[in-house]
Amino acid sequence: MNFRQTLTHGLWRDLPPFRMVLGLCPTLAVTATAENGLGMGIAVTFVLIFSNMFISLLRKVIPDKVRIASYIVVIATLVVIVELAMKAFFFPLSQQLGIYIPLIVVNCIILGRAEAFASRNPVHLSMADGLSVGLGFSISLTLVGSIREILGVGTWFGMAVFPDSFEPFGFMVQAPGAFLCLGLLLGLMNAWSRRRGEFFIQT
Amino acid sequence: MREIAHLVLVLGVICSLSAAALAYVRTSLAGRIEMQEDFYVRGPALERLFKQPAEGLLTEKLTVPVGDQTYPVFYLREAGEVTGLAVEAAGHGGYSGDIVIMIGLDPRDDRVLGVEIVSHSETPGVGAKVELASFRQQWTGLTLDQPVSLTSDGGGIDAITGATFSSRAMVDGTNQVVEMLRDHRQEILLLIEERSSGGAVSGGEG
Amino acid sequence: MDLFLLVIGSIFVNNILLAQYLGNCPFCGVSKKLGPAIGMGVAVIFVSTLASIFTWIVYHYLLEPQGLEYLKTLVFILVIAALVQFVEIFIKKQSKGLYDSLGIFLPLITTNCAVMGIALLNIKHGFDFVEMIVFSASSAAGFALAILLFASVRERLFISSVPVAMRGTAIALVTAGVMSLAFMGFAGMTN
Repeated sequence: MNFRQTLTHGLWRDLPPFRMVLGLCPTLAVTATAENGLGMGIAVTFVLIFSNMFISLLRKVIPDKVRIASYIVVIATLVVIVELAMKAFFFPLSQQLGIYIPLIVVNCIILGRAEAFASRNPVHLSMADGLSVGLGFSISLTLVGSIREILGVGTWFGMAVFPDSFEPFGFMVQAPGAFLCLGLLLGLMNAWSRRRGEFFIQT
Repeated sequence: MREIAHLVLVLGVICSLSAAALAYVRTSLAGRIEMQEDFYVRGPALERLFKQPAEGLLTEKLTVPVGDQTYPVFYLREAGEVTGLAVEAAGHGGYSGDIVIMIGLDPRDDRVLGVEIVSHSETPGVGAKVELASFRQQWTGLTLDQPVSLTSDGGGIDAITGATFSSRAMVDGTNQVVEMLRDHRQEILLLIEERSSGGAVSGGEG
Repeated sequence: MDLFLLVIGSIFVNNILLAQYLGNCPFCGVSKKLGPAIGMGVAVIFVSTLASIFTWIVYHYLLEPQGLEYLKTLVFILVIAALVQFVEIFIKKQSKGLYDSLGIFLPLITTNCAVMGIALLNIKHGFDFVEMIVFSASSAAGFALAILLFASVRERLFISSVPVAMRGTAIALVTAGVMSLAFMGFAGMTN
């Protein structure tokens, strides 16, 4: 892949979590509101860019046998930094996201990109890949969060979008709504890809 | 053998670098995190107790160490006189963990202004009823010269039906404050005087 | 605290998978057939309980006295990764049969957020040692129950005609939504 392709592949071709089915837990868990989704997306993007950078820098130094362990140390360090930074600058958001911030550490997207991309590509490409996949993930999370918040609470980023007579269906902000919303979105995405003759997920 | 040494060396270097990075980030952010915690967690309780914006109150923070515990103390000072003290304590024995409470009192007549819940993780609808004003108002006007207890234990506080554990945790927190104030009341007032006279003197001369 | 309520609560009411969204990757990945689903479920119960014991001890006797609570994410993931390695080696040596049926799931478990999630929840809820073991085992059992039920549903789903675009993960998620709705019926049981 050249630089431009690397920079854009995460936005549609491999858009997580729809076309690269990884990282479902945060997609379901923190998307009750658009704001939480966006916050989580940005946190993941930060970790992705820098974990890809460090792993790419160290790819010739790290022996093959301990590579997963080394990746985990690098990723976990970055996650702790994000955790502390969120507490210091976005305290209410960090309370909202709760244990899902430390759980970024086991988000398969990050380890997946480290193993599949950063460990065999130069630094600038790896960082571009991290940025692209991270942005794609943020967009997806914000999208799912927006749908759930608009339908479930009747607001978008906390602003009312419906007149008072609208009765929000609280189902959407609870667990079943999360699964249903993501499943239907995935189906829509597949239908669209199929129409355009692109590959789509069918496993 | 050489290979294993190599593996250990690489992992060791990565781990120590990460530890160094984390220690640095932690020390540079610790102050800010504490401020944020105070503002978002304690701020609302303090605001309700003293009926004033929290920004000014939070900077007036003392920490009183007693044994292996430390009690955060906030105060309100009007016209050269301390008119309010707020002491935070973690009441043990709640249904699901500690209930952190803040007791406000007027040091002039030692009567309780009110009690506020700083944080808890009790069951919604049962233990979480400790938040209700109808339960908490039992504290208002108490004099903290002796320990309190539930009516079922021969005291004067009516427990919440079905949430004896949560109610007891509140009483436990209160009694910690009672004990702390009995031993350290003068010390705290002196400390406040010292602080504010320092400020007042330099202000007056300037 | 009533341990029985804790068991019921963590298996049904706050099911780790259907109400707390933890462990969805293996949930969708290994739930196509009943056999692997059982294997995964058992492996998670086993590893999760062990991991919780170790992380709880490390947190309360190592990190907390030193004031290093902020390192828990880093330390927990390392403890879990190391533990999974040891379990794998141990099972391989002890029982060939067990290794053949569970072995392939073990590497997957390191990045299973249910295991890490349960370890973190133990700390967040401030459980003591007994509560911690009960909570971890029953949360993991809740995971196993959900993945088992789900695999049975999916085996049926395989032979029904689903719209092409919805096949695979999409219909799996919708099904999970319906199951989650059913599990919501348990809410209120522990109050």
